[in-house]
Amino acid sequence: MFFQILKEPIDVKALITGAFHPKCGAVASFIGTTRADESGSARVEYLEYEAYRPMADKKLEEIGEEISERWKVGYVAIVHRIGKVDPGEPSVAIVVAAPRREPAFEASRYAIERIKEIAPIWKREVWSDGYVWVGSQVGTRP
Amino acid sequence: MSDVKVLLFGAAADRAGIRQTKVRINHVVTLGELWSVLADQHPHLIPMRETLAFAVNGEYARMEDTVSTGDEVAVLPPVSGG
Repeated sequence: MFFQILKEPIDVKALITGAFHPKCGAVASFIGTTRADESGSARVEYLEYEAYRPMADKKLEEIGEEISERWKVGYVAIVHRIGKVDPGEPSVAIVVAAPRREPAFEASRYAIERIKEIAPIWKREVWSDGYVWVGSQVGTRP
Repeated sequence: MSDVKVLLFGAAADRAGIRQTKVRINHVVTLGELWSVLADQHPHLIPMRETLAFAVNGEYARMEDTVSTGDEVAVLPPVSGG
């Protein structure tokens, strides 16, 4: 099991290959990447994430524990990036290895949904004409 | 010192204009009572009240839960990770 919140780019390839194991016949991954939305003549220039630590770290671990209780999995890795993230870059990566494919698919889906429910992490979209805290709609855009 | 450390995040920090403050309490109060003091000091937070969650010492807490001096309270707007 591997849980991490970091400011540097996520090494997705290392995360996935690190999940390979002779007892697991399936590795499923979910990679969330930052999307550059557009609205009229304005566009998202980058996203900025912040986390309440160490609570956020603890919640990622709890999600891993919940997965282990619900599915037969061999390995779970959840990595979330904070700080400035440019469009098209990974902001979150989830990798689940399991003996069979069903739990790998289901658990990786579960992990991202739970992150969006319980992990104290926030994103701010920085647009060409202001910013917005996603989820609160607080910001400076016109 | 009879203070509670209060941390604010995301839109709550933005609205209040601070990321951290201290609230003086008399030994033990409920989270709801602490919120009343905080809202008096930072009225820009009041419109967000229904959307906010709170944590005491790093775990989600309810308004009837107690807060003691030395505790850390976090004001958490709707999370938006991923």
